Amino acid sequence: MKALSFEGSGFEYFKIWIVNILLTIVTLGLYYPWAKVRNRRYFAANSNLEGRNFEYHATGKQLFIGYLIAMAIFIVFVIIQNVSPIGSLIVALLFILALPWIIWRSIKFNMRMTSFSNVRFGFDGILGGAYINYLLLPIVCFLALYGLPIALAIVIPMLGLQMNALLGIIILVAVIAFIVLAFFLFAFLKKRNTSYAINGYRYGQGEFSTNVETKKFAMILLKSVGLSILAMIALLVIVAVIAGFTGIANEILQLKDSLQDPEAMQMALAGSLGMLIGLVYLGFIIVSLLIVAYLYTRQRTYIYDNSNLDNKITFASTLKARPFAWVMITNFIIIIFTLGFGVPWAKVRMARLILENSQVNTNHGFDEYLTQKQKQQSSLGEQIGDAFDVDVGIGF
Amino acid sequence: MIIHGKWHSLGSAAQSVAALYIEDDDYRLEIDGGQTYSGELQSLQVSDRLGNVERKITLEDGSIFASQDNDAIDRLFKDHTKLNNFIHAIESHIGLVAIATLLTITFAFSFFKWGVPWASTKIAHALPQKTNELIAGETLKFLDKYMFEESKLDVEKIEYIREHFRSTLIPLDEKNNSINYKLHFREWNDGEAGIPNALALPSGDIILTDEFVKLSENQDEIDAVLLHEMGHVVRRHTLEMVIESAFVTTAVMLITGDNNGLADMGVGLGSLLVSTNYSRNHETEADLYAFEHMLVAKIDPQAFSDIMNRITESIEEINDEKSEEDEGGILDYLSTHPSTAKRVEQAKRYSKCFQIGMIICDTSTVNSEH
Repeated sequence: MKALSFEGSGFEYFKIWIVNILLTIVTLGLYYPWAKVRNRRYFAANSNLEGRNFEYHATGKQLFIGYLIAMAIFIVFVIIQNVSPIGSLIVALLFILALPWIIWRSIKFNMRMTSFSNVRFGFDGILGGAYINYLLLPIVCFLALYGLPIALAIVIPMLGLQMNALLGIIILVAVIAFIVLAFFLFAFLKKRNTSYAINGYRYGQGEFSTNVETKKFAMILLKSVGLSILAMIALLVIVAVIAGFTGIANEILQLKDSLQDPEAMQMALAGSLGMLIGLVYLGFIIVSLLIVAYLYTRQRTYIYDNSNLDNKITFASTLKARPFAWVMITNFIIIIFTLGFGVPWAKVRMARLILENSQVNTNHGFDEYLTQKQKQQSSLGEQIGDAFDVDVGIGF
Repeated sequence: MIIHGKWHSLGSAAQSVAALYIEDDDYRLEIDGGQTYSGELQSLQVSDRLGNVERKITLEDGSIFASQDNDAIDRLFKDHTKLNNFIHAIESHIGLVAIATLLTITFAFSFFKWGVPWASTKIAHALPQKTNELIAGETLKFLDKYMFEESKLDVEKIEYIREHFRSTLIPLDEKNNSINYKLHFREWNDGEAGIPNALALPSGDIILTDEFVKLSENQDEIDAVLLHEMGHVVRRHTLEMVIESAFVTTAVMLITGDNNGLADMGVGLGSLLVSTNYSRNHETEADLYAFEHMLVAKIDPQAFSDIMNRITESIEEINDEKSEEDEGGILDYLSTHPSTAKRVEQAKRYSKCFQIGMIICDTSTVNSEH
């Protein structure tokens, strides 16, 4: 196993980033696609494995038209949202309907535009699969999940049951069934989405494949939820103790009297109550970050362990929750305290952490495998052309 | 000149060590294993310079020579990559990067401070009045359903205010006679206490709460507030807010497009501060509109300051809160209204104009008397 490395630096990227932003401003946004290409390319080309690097091939021109369309749609959407509630509902529905297509196009385009050691990646997943995985299944899961309590709410009054031991048991069983179902459905979704994406990835003519299971995802989810419940309880206890000691609890009780008046509310919020709310807020951010980091890193490790390229090249992820959460939190602090100017350093730190914890098994004939990947990609062609490219977060 | 690197045949991941020799306008590529290419330098295509990432030089048959010797490549392909060299020249010059940073800060600040409000005003006034009615839409019905109750004021009192509004205030602004003003009276309670307030919808519907009418001591005070609300309508502030928020959201998305969720929270806080700043500017504008028209109608702008003070006091009484010590502090940035003290001060300036019988009040001349 050999880890990837990142060869860029925060300051070098800052210089590229700030010139990108300035040129985007000066051109009233028209430079943005070219700026995006420079950003993407910087991160791809600096990602390195055994002296071979990635490359991002899209040009600003290719992204330009899609970008103009996306901007126009976005502005119309923002305006409609402000003007008409029904209109914004319709637009949101249309967007949801278009979303699987957008995701599908974006994955296809971005994979085709990325190469490693002069051989391009690709994506062969079918559009129908995107609709099943990013629209149909989520809706089915949603309905199944909310259908149960709604059915209970309808059935119980209809039967005219009185509150007794039997009813209590029925409700208890239903609640447990609901929770089990929820875990299963979320895990099932994750499994389906992961399989759809990875099994569709190509490297030249080489095929990625994965065989992840719902059961494992459910276990990871279960542990995450358990951890978050514990963490929230701990947080509430700490806050209650602080509030009790400092007398802020009284202030909260008085607060309801000032609900009608925003100014009094502001006074209260600027005082010690505000401090407490800020503290709780901060606590929640940190706790949820830790949980998100735990969930993400565990899933990533599981997916990497069970994926391969042409059954020859295997992968591993050594990304752990604590360092990942640490980088997220410190990045957040960097960005806030530099008023956004620290973004380049934050991004470089994150890229470095992720790459250094992504491993590829290069022992058994990696070079030979790569050497075989000759002239095969040309059959895939460069027919993609212009792209409606949206950043969708399905990275692994 | 020699550039060292590696060579890939077309579409192949396999790489061989290679060296590019350049003499005048010709090149010769020697690849480990004996293969060589040669030809004119002009037939080669080179990828853009970006930091210090590996450059790819594409040969005529599509095979690729890759090298990290960026400076040598830049010298060789000067003419091929003019625009890119220009961008890289800025990126690699520390002074220019510093200037770019300062310019970005200046642009961003000016854009939000002046650009967005200016453009929003222009756009808002270029749209037909119909747009305003469209935005107002069902708002009054919504408010009636969830917040307001029917007014408990005397019918005579209501009729008197309405009649006065029609006959005295509306004719003051002939330029904007296409606006269809309607006056509504509603009771607005929260718990026991009534809330003294006046609201304007972009359609020209103005709502006065019972508590506000009770709090006013004379017709001048009601007129002052009505004119303030008319100011919001005439200046199309609601529409401006809609356009401003579209601008802010779009700009923020552009700048921070691919950030993580955490950074978005910081950005969200920033845009909140920006938009409350806009709405405070709107209040000041509406105040000025009211003062200017009060002078024309021969109403002492002092009335505005009187009613503002009384509303503030009444609200403070209801909440029996500590006095507002923090005038101009952090709260000022979060407040959607300019602080009462500032507005009262402005009213006093106009009141001075009124006392010496001026109809157009240049606050700067009055100011200089201080």
